[in-house]
Amino acid sequence: MARAHETTSETVLPTESPAALWAGIGALLFVVEAGAFFDFFVGIVADFLAATPLPGAGLVNGVENAVERIPTLLSRELIPNGGYWNGSRWVGTFLGLRPGVAWGIRVLLVYLYAFAFAGWAVLGYRLYRREYRTADWTPRDDMVDRFRGHKWGVFGLVVVFMFVTMAVFAPTLGPTTVDKNMRDSYSYEINYWNGEAGEVQTTLVGEANLASQSRGDTADRVLPMGYDDFGRFHPFGTMPSGQDLFTFIASGSRISLLIGLLSVGLSVSIATTLALIAAYYKGRIDLGLVLASDSVMAMPQLLLLIMLTTVLAGTWLGGIYSGGFVLALIFAGTGWTYMWRSLRGPALQVSERQWIDAAKSFGQRPRTIMRKHMLPYITGYLLIYGSMTLGGAIISIAGLSFLGLGISAPTPEWGRAINLGQDYVATGSWHISLIPGLLITIVVTGFNALGDGVRDAIDPQSDAAEEGGAAGRGGGA
Amino acid sequence: MNGVAPGGTHEHNPLLSVRDLEVVFHTEHEEIHAVDGVSFDIHEGETVGLVGESGSGKSVAARSILGLVDSPGHIEGGSIEFRGDDLTEDNWDAHRGDIAIVFQDPSSSLNPVYTVGNQITEALRIHQGLRGTEATEEAVSLLEDVGIPDAPRRVEEYPHQLSGGMQQRAVIAMALACDPDLLVCDEPTTALDVTIQAQILDLLADLQRASDLAILFITHDMGVIEDATDRVNVIYAGEIVERAPTGPLFERPEHPYTRALLKSIPGRTEPDERLPTIEGEVPTPTGPAEDCRFAPRCPKAFADCERTVPEHVSVGEDRTAACLLHDPAYDGGGDSA
Repeated sequence: MARAHETTSETVLPTESPAALWAGIGALLFVVEAGAFFDFFVGIVADFLAATPLPGAGLVNGVENAVERIPTLLSRELIPNGGYWNGSRWVGTFLGLRPGVAWGIRVLLVYLYAFAFAGWAVLGYRLYRREYRTADWTPRDDMVDRFRGHKWGVFGLVVVFMFVTMAVFAPTLGPTTVDKNMRDSYSYEINYWNGEAGEVQTTLVGEANLASQSRGDTADRVLPMGYDDFGRFHPFGTMPSGQDLFTFIASGSRISLLIGLLSVGLSVSIATTLALIAAYYKGRIDLGLVLASDSVMAMPQLLLLIMLTTVLAGTWLGGIYSGGFVLALIFAGTGWTYMWRSLRGPALQVSERQWIDAAKSFGQRPRTIMRKHMLPYITGYLLIYGSMTLGGAIISIAGLSFLGLGISAPTPEWGRAINLGQDYVATGSWHISLIPGLLITIVVTGFNALGDGVRDAIDPQSDAAEEGGAAGRGGGA
Repeated sequence: MNGVAPGGTHEHNPLLSVRDLEVVFHTEHEEIHAVDGVSFDIHEGETVGLVGESGSGKSVAARSILGLVDSPGHIEGGSIEFRGDDLTEDNWDAHRGDIAIVFQDPSSSLNPVYTVGNQITEALRIHQGLRGTEATEEAVSLLEDVGIPDAPRRVEEYPHQLSGGMQQRAVIAMALACDPDLLVCDEPTTALDVTIQAQILDLLADLQRASDLAILFITHDMGVIEDATDRVNVIYAGEIVERAPTGPLFERPEHPYTRALLKSIPGRTEPDERLPTIEGEVPTPTGPAEDCRFAPRCPKAFADCERTVPEHVSVGEDRTAACLLHDPAYDGGGDSA
């Protein structure tokens, strides 16, 4: 072992301390995009506080403004795609390239950066496994190795990773911003080349949008990868309002991910806690929880969703994340039962193991026994069910928004995009519903594939056909 | 109990005194009286054996001493007094660490996701308030005490990296981390092969000498009982049928069940003879005793055995047996030898 250590440090990493080098690279990677990360997290907190009557909204706004000044390497300013044709060349775009090419370079770089970050994390794990961990082998190694060989699972991981990247870097990825293109479109001006007049003219973004609407077979419609009359590039085309669909979708991915994570996080914590309690104490407590979960399951989830979103629509609670927070709470409040049922079995199994008795015999506290000696054995199941429920939650949010119940206008959300485009599905503006629909399918498939992969990695004997019923539960709407 | 003290004739108060313990499991169809009126004593520094077939209730008795009887089982009667405190009145937490247990299967007594050292320090932290390097050093010295070579390295290893015998030593180290007065060993050698078994028995004897530890030794192996214990309680279908000092018991078993058990030890019979077995199985006690539970399998049973619950009667110095053959009130068997 000592010998292997020497050779690897000499040949692979020309440094005394590979961990320091690794941490240094990580810090560097983080610093160059720190602005984007902070913007993502502070934005989530700020959006939350903005709708609540809690104090601190002002402070967070201050922080948000400060965060916006943190320099970010891969920004719209470094690689701008918003420019105009002055009759002979492109002005204001990156290196004078066509806006579409400039945008493509930026997207490519962002994804390269994201994969570099992922590679850095994988490298760190390998480094730890080879150089720092005392044990040559732990049971978890086999799981990781099995997952790596699971092509479907790796595909899921890549899809999920790309979706998360889209959510985190949404403002950088869009060809324009939500603020400029949608929320405040009449406060911004753009220059464009007017071919008839033969000169560069100025117009408001809102006016330009009106002339770029995709409504059926009109001449103004902008299809995917197309330019509108104002020289603006639209990777996914425009919406019926003339707004940029890609910007709408990129921004919408944030709210899908946020609500998905929030609802799954909440239901996972409820389900885990109750599963551990039921398995540890058994008997009457277990029976009581079975009754409670059965009662919750008996409630019609969809009716509850419709009722609560309507009732809470006017309140501040209903205003958080444009109604998304209420959705997350309802998903968690009704969804934990399925997860609890799935977790109770494994938890009961672990609770019969002898080391639990051993820990009880030397007086370990119940909470510590549950956390330390039982929880590690159900975390695998948490990952599986969490991943699969997340896909279901995303579908549900989109479905409800499509019906006009979920995320309220004008907040960008994928289901809303499908809804806005549904009148034009059979016309020349087919892209408005089709693209977000395809994306939802891909992302949800990705989450399910990831869950499948994790399950096969954790439990090689598990039969994929058996678990379909509980785990593959799709959207409720 | 007919005036015969289950602990024999010790001068001091016993360390642990179990009296008329009743453990009942309530299942959907029936009540199972897994432990039905068991009484025995353990004094400081002595090793007491609890021997019986599989299903006789010996493990349940052991677990109830530590308050580890899980639902649907309940302690429904009797008392377990440890240093004068009745544990059944929810006093287990007050004496946590005074009683430690070593289970049968060492590979499942250790949590595979934590290192051996981690699990020993967990107990050290609770009972001796040790943390960090101090706790690790103490864990290393405990591992050395139980005879694990290269302890500083072993303390960092995961359970799967140790052999079965080493694992059982680690489990014993974990139990010792609580600094117990009484060690309950629930078939600690059953899962090990014979040579390792002997080493573990030696280790337990050494530990007992070194720290005046009392040991309750639970097993179905009469050979182990003979090697390891000072006094023996023979348990059958939830009831203790004979209690005696180890030497006299092996010389002259008084209860027909004990006699049958001893006859079925390989090596005690003539070389050409077929090894005798006890016909039938241990019955599952589903109600209060109304007869001698061994009667259906007993070669010496007579009519009264199926009507009367035998009580413990003195059958020699410091020993009792629950058999009508020895009860002067009955005269069915005639010969009491």
